[in-house]
Amino acid sequence: MTGSEPLPPPPPEAPTDQWKRVHIISPLVRGWIALAALIFFGGRDWFEGFLIGDSRGFRGDGPGNLTLAIAVVLGVVLLIAAGFFLSWYYTRYQVTEEHVRVNSGVIFRQHRQARLDRVQAIDVVQPFLARVFGLAELKFDVADAGESAVRLAFLKLDEAQRLRATILARAAGVAVDPEHPQDIPEAPEREVLSLTPARVLGAAALSGNTVAVLLGLVGVVLFAVVLDTGALLAGFVPILIGVIGGYWNVLNTGFNFRAAISPDGIRIRYGLLDTRTQTVPPGRVQAVGVVQSPLWRLKGWYKVTVNVAGYGASASGEAQARATLLPVGTLDEVLRVIALVLPDPGTDTPVDVFSAGLAGKGPDAGFRTTPRRARLIAPLAWRRNGVAVTRTALLARSGAWWRQLAVVPHERTQSLALHQGPLARRFGVADLVFHTTPGPVSPRVRQVAEEDAWRLFSEQAERAAEARRRSGPEQWMRPVTVEGPAGDPGTASEAPVMLPPPSYQEGSAHERF
Amino acid sequence: MRREPIDPAGIEWTRVSPKYLRVRLAGWAIGSAIFLLIFSVPLILLLTGVLPRIPLLPAVLLPAVAIIIAAWRGLLLPRQVRAIGYAERNEDLLVRQGIFFQRTMVVPYGRMQYVDVAVGPIERALGLCTVKLHTASPGTNAEIPGLPSSEGARLREQLSARGEAKLAGL
Repeated sequence: MTGSEPLPPPPPEAPTDQWKRVHIISPLVRGWIALAALIFFGGRDWFEGFLIGDSRGFRGDGPGNLTLAIAVVLGVVLLIAAGFFLSWYYTRYQVTEEHVRVNSGVIFRQHRQARLDRVQAIDVVQPFLARVFGLAELKFDVADAGESAVRLAFLKLDEAQRLRATILARAAGVAVDPEHPQDIPEAPEREVLSLTPARVLGAAALSGNTVAVLLGLVGVVLFAVVLDTGALLAGFVPILIGVIGGYWNVLNTGFNFRAAISPDGIRIRYGLLDTRTQTVPPGRVQAVGVVQSPLWRLKGWYKVTVNVAGYGASASGEAQARATLLPVGTLDEVLRVIALVLPDPGTDTPVDVFSAGLAGKGPDAGFRTTPRRARLIAPLAWRRNGVAVTRTALLARSGAWWRQLAVVPHERTQSLALHQGPLARRFGVADLVFHTTPGPVSPRVRQVAEEDAWRLFSEQAERAAEARRRSGPEQWMRPVTVEGPAGDPGTASEAPVMLPPPSYQEGSAHERF
Repeated sequence: MRREPIDPAGIEWTRVSPKYLRVRLAGWAIGSAIFLLIFSVPLILLLTGVLPRIPLLPAVLLPAVAIIIAAWRGLLLPRQVRAIGYAERNEDLLVRQGIFFQRTMVVPYGRMQYVDVAVGPIERALGLCTVKLHTASPGTNAEIPGLPSSEGARLREQLSARGEAKLAGL
């Protein structure tokens, strides 16, 4: 494949099984920062030298020096270009029926192979410069905390999307039309919600960042007034830069946020300069967390995060953005998003149960709270701490100021533990900790009565075992589906029937999905 | 084994080998010696006359506190070792530990990704080993230390076989 080929009518497709290369200018797009820095510093030095040499004349004597400088710059550029070319030349990928393989590296060769049915998440990312060139990066995550299993940077956007559709279709076990094995249409999707810029700006303005800035500002001003010195103000500048970075992160990742549902799973898009499309196939979400910071309570906003095995637990802004299923949403939107993850809430009154979990207190909607006798060790949160169990998931809520709700589908429970320290033993309570894959959500039932704790512990172990036995296949569209999300396999040539997104609001709508 | 409030009723805990106490004691002795040495530095400097201006009371108090803490930890060791237990059930494995901060953990067989058997130098001398279970979650910190080697091997085989039989995805 060559970069300059005209795009429309795509030539008769070669089989996807063959080895391919990424787009030829991709090393440039990836390495542009290094290149820009080189040009900037080198150029500045040269320019300054040139100026100084010109005006004062003690920096060598003109032409000879200039030729040398140009030769050096040319040499460096050629060297970098050669490096770029080699790294491009030696990077090849292949998508077969069962695997995706990537070979890379010039001196240290790396051959990587990932099973398609192990896909946990797949992203199409467009950093700003790649967007300018119409390129995109494809990321393929398997269940291994840390870096993505496969990163193909960069492909043409439509090529990346086609590849994603192919990978998802093969991972899903969709039966392919034997006559046109390459005709794999993008699974249809239905938008569930989108965020307005005003909401994202408001969320940033009311975020915990703001609280920190205000407190810091008050402190600095007080200090300056009391000691009559502006020394601390200077120290505030780097902090301010960090804070602005934080705001930028919120805006950049919340902007244009849209969530959609497709037979291939949940698809979310966001980004201001860099754009990203994430797809999480059904059953890949290990735990859902909903948090509300104190200022957001004014507007009734929540943030929804998820643990997905491929995303890892890195604290970087990118990892956090990836694990965010909804940057800011109202109660209604949060319920809609949770319904995507958990199509069957396992209760007849899902709205009541989840609302109580998000903002409730006391024993409403089947929540068991910290017993009254233990209110001394949880003076504010004892009525908020609570746990509820539905047929399909467990809800653990906590936090009086920073409200939190963690939802763990029963079949996703990895292991669980009861913790009890001396103080908790004195008050007859214990903590129940759920272990899930690395991510922002760490479900913990706090200070539940001992007798409840033990019953939950043993029942949950049984429920998890039972749910695992019933859980759907890894290949979610495999023709012999037990109770998978799409009962009718359908061939790829006829587009899968798109059901309305599951919702908790309209009674039993989720049953059909 | 005494039944603690968070322990389930009707579970027969298998205790680890009493010999494991010696492993812990060895670790405790080395740790305490280093701990004591560090906290004795001011006293040593004072007595050898390198830094004669260090006040005597804190210089003596520091190692004294270190000794008390080390003794306290040493006295707890036998009970800590006795508090470690595990139980194999049909679907899962239970592991418990701790006296003050107690923890009981259940690891479903179908969730186990792999099983580690580790043997340290002291453990090897005593014919012991440590079995560690791993799930897809880093939070699963299920370690059964101080198993006799034969029991460790049996447990590993048993867990692997059961894990295979009940293996689920993630």
